Amino acid sequence: MSQLFKSEKEKLETAANKLLSYAINSGADTAEVCGGYGTKTKITLEKQDYHLASSDDGYSLGVRVLKGNRQGFASCNSTDSAELKEIAIKANEIAGFSPDNPHYNIQRANNIPIEAPHNLVDPALTEISLQTQKEWTQLLVGEATKDKRFRLNEGGVEIGTGISLVINSLGTHQMEADTAASWSLMGMGVEDKLITSFDYFSQISRDASTTPETIILSARKFVEEVLRNLKTGRSESYKGLVIFSPRAVLDILISSLSYHFNGRVVAETTGRWGLKNRDQQILNSQLSLKDNPWLRDRSGCSTFDREGTPTRPMDLIEKGVLKSFCLDHYAAHALKLTSTGHAAGGPSSLPAVSTHTLCLAPGEETQHSLYQRVGAEQKSFLVVQRYSGQSDPVTGDFSGVAKGAEWWVNGERRYYVQETLISGNIFQALGEDLFAISKETEVIDCDEESPTLVINNISVTGG
Amino acid sequence: MKSISELLETTLAKAPCWAEARYHRRNSQSLSVQKGLVKQAKSNLTSGVGIRVFVDGAWGFSSTSDLNPHALEKALRQAIECAKSLSQLKKSNLKKLPETKLARGEFKIPGYENLKKMPLEQKLHAVLKAEKLTRNNSALIHSATCVYNEIFEDKIVVTTDGANASSQLARNEFKIGAIASRDGEMAESHESVGRTGSWECLFSRATLDEMSDSAAKLAVDLLSAPKIPGGNNVLVLSPAMVGLLSHEAIGHTVEADFVLSGSVAQGKLGTLVASPLITLSDSGIVAGVEHSGGELLVDDEGVLTTKTVIIKNGILSSYLHNRESAAIYGVEPTGNGRAWLYSDEPLIRMRNTYIEPGTQTLEEIISSTKEGYLVDCPLGGQADATGEFMFGAQKVTKIENGKLTKMFRGATISGQAFEVLSTVDAVSKEFLLDLGSGYCGKGQPAKVDAGGPYIRCKATIGGVQE
Repeated sequence: MSQLFKSEKEKLETAANKLLSYAINSGADTAEVCGGYGTKTKITLEKQDYHLASSDDGYSLGVRVLKGNRQGFASCNSTDSAELKEIAIKANEIAGFSPDNPHYNIQRANNIPIEAPHNLVDPALTEISLQTQKEWTQLLVGEATKDKRFRLNEGGVEIGTGISLVINSLGTHQMEADTAASWSLMGMGVEDKLITSFDYFSQISRDASTTPETIILSARKFVEEVLRNLKTGRSESYKGLVIFSPRAVLDILISSLSYHFNGRVVAETTGRWGLKNRDQQILNSQLSLKDNPWLRDRSGCSTFDREGTPTRPMDLIEKGVLKSFCLDHYAAHALKLTSTGHAAGGPSSLPAVSTHTLCLAPGEETQHSLYQRVGAEQKSFLVVQRYSGQSDPVTGDFSGVAKGAEWWVNGERRYYVQETLISGNIFQALGEDLFAISKETEVIDCDEESPTLVINNISVTGG
Repeated sequence: MKSISELLETTLAKAPCWAEARYHRRNSQSLSVQKGLVKQAKSNLTSGVGIRVFVDGAWGFSSTSDLNPHALEKALRQAIECAKSLSQLKKSNLKKLPETKLARGEFKIPGYENLKKMPLEQKLHAVLKAEKLTRNNSALIHSATCVYNEIFEDKIVVTTDGANASSQLARNEFKIGAIASRDGEMAESHESVGRTGSWECLFSRATLDEMSDSAAKLAVDLLSAPKIPGGNNVLVLSPAMVGLLSHEAIGHTVEADFVLSGSVAQGKLGTLVASPLITLSDSGIVAGVEHSGGELLVDDEGVLTTKTVIIKNGILSSYLHNRESAAIYGVEPTGNGRAWLYSDEPLIRMRNTYIEPGTQTLEEIISSTKEGYLVDCPLGGQADATGEFMFGAQKVTKIENGKLTKMFRGATISGQAFEVLSTVDAVSKEFLLDLGSGYCGKGQPAKVDAGGPYIRCKATIGGVQE
């Protein structure tokens, strides 16, 4: 732990230990405290202009108690002893009237592996002045407003520092600090009577020295993508091959698929697969999916989870074969397994299961060749860049509007389409209907990563 | 509350500029049950003060959870420093907020005390009962979920130009989900209600038993429902779907911050944007409707909430404003400045957004429709600066020769909002604010409600193609 956060760390630890002892003294058999401290300075943009500068810091603490098989939870945003005592009593009161659930449990966590990315702090980021942050924001605005056709609706640059802590009455003590600069833009293209869809991007950097250059390059790329959508036309209705960009793959297909890797869903048998399906072929053999919490430059990077369990990179699907499910202690108990470090949440929430940073493995074919092959199969086709719609994880059905979608005819991009709807089913799309996977991958919003996918039998309804 | 109000006034007396101090204490509780097991029972307490200043045309903001006078003064100094750092860059000509009528006094929405007095244990029993009723409704129900959330809000807003308003309200929501299963096929349904007020308000339209029954039956019915064919169709939208359309597709495009950025509503004031049958409003209080989910008496800038008629007989007549955008447009603020937590700055947000009722009955509308679909039970939606929208619907029923016939599985409908509203040729007299539970997202969440009558229009259904 960096000396940079010494006093904040001590204050957080003192409050967390007090809360833990209040919880036990109020009647809990075992207790767990999740705490956090954070600072952020933010310069926000709105209506094509600088809007607001702000500066905040604060603590938050949550306590989970077990009385036999009954659980209670309460949280507050204070380190004041009276408030900590109040929430410890409240958590015990809730446990007192909650019915038994045999799967609640609190465990002592192992140590974090040496290979994990232990240092998520760049001291230079903690010393950035408001003046420098203003200069970074000017870089963002300068790049975004170079082309007058781009209308900046919202955005900004934020510098945040944080400490996360999990302790429990069985001896778990995990703490990590992180720093990051983040920036975002939301806007649209406007030219005469043409208006594009809203588009949004966000990016983080954990390295102060490379931040200015990354701001410029990322904003330039984003504005170029938005303005391309000004050339619009109509698509035709058809059922057949559709190309999904990496963002569309993650938004439509992988987000729903990840529901089925949730150990709690498996335990409740509301998912598609169960323990009996491990090591079985469940999806197309071209498909490999990994969850990797140790990628330092990604927003999902963490060395321990909401329950203090160390995280680790894990294969979920390998060549279409189901390898693992994501488990917290609750799911692990229900399935008679051990936690995989996938308890998600923060000080004001109870642990839930979630993935960290999903990475879909690339294929062997270049994007160029993939487009050519689709063009040879089908005279015209749709390329989905973004998606605004529904995706029902239970049934796997999805239906929604293809945003920023390209209409290709005879192997050439003709224009961008609006009011075009797509629908299909994720299990078929990632199973028998998966046509091809690109060699190139893209990291979306500094977190998950995916190649481009070509899927067959997708219904396209032109507006 | 009085001592906090005085503390805020004392802090602001030291401000050399326009300043606003907003105390906010939020106590929220959440219960959830699935398959007979309690998944979540929790209580959260968040409190603090957000201080916002306006210096030479720039906003500065800082917040603290510490109510010590020194901590508040520190937050005020930080906010001023932040604003000063931006003032040289800000291009806007607005250097000072104009005077406006601001709220003073106490603003309480009934139901707070009643809901607070009811033990959480009793609420948990109701959640357990609803889940069990849903699960046991049919042998085809594989799993049921029931969630109850409640939020108690206490706020005080003080500004250097005269606002001093303390407000109190409680919001609650009840959600039931069911998954039906047969031969490996699954179908899911949701029922929800969201209110501002007491526990009883939640069940004023449908009892807990009726909600459970409805969720279970819909999931079972959807199991055998086919997928819908895609295409442009005549649609009769239910009040809940009309609410989504009003909120997502129209409401967001007329929020003045979006308008100033170039939304599709820019420059359209005074022009015909919808069928003359359409009058669309946003209001903190809706006449004749009690305990709506977005009920609000005073906003987070200390402005009294008024009814804002956005479209009157098809003509765009107003945008939604906070104090800053109202000053830019030279109009009075509409009471739409809302913040989620003390540490959030107020943004332009909707409250209850709805289309006014018409003169026909639903029966008349259905019987005069030769071919189309009745679309109900929203699943959420999104809209764009262009007015292009997308809504999910759980339940779509075919209308053939004036009669409701076959039910289809959930579908997505899409179109350009103003174009779709221009196709409206029938508006019912039946009226409901019926958005259910859930929140609007715009960087921060906000509790809103929306609804209206049944309307008949044309839009695209995103279904299957052969």
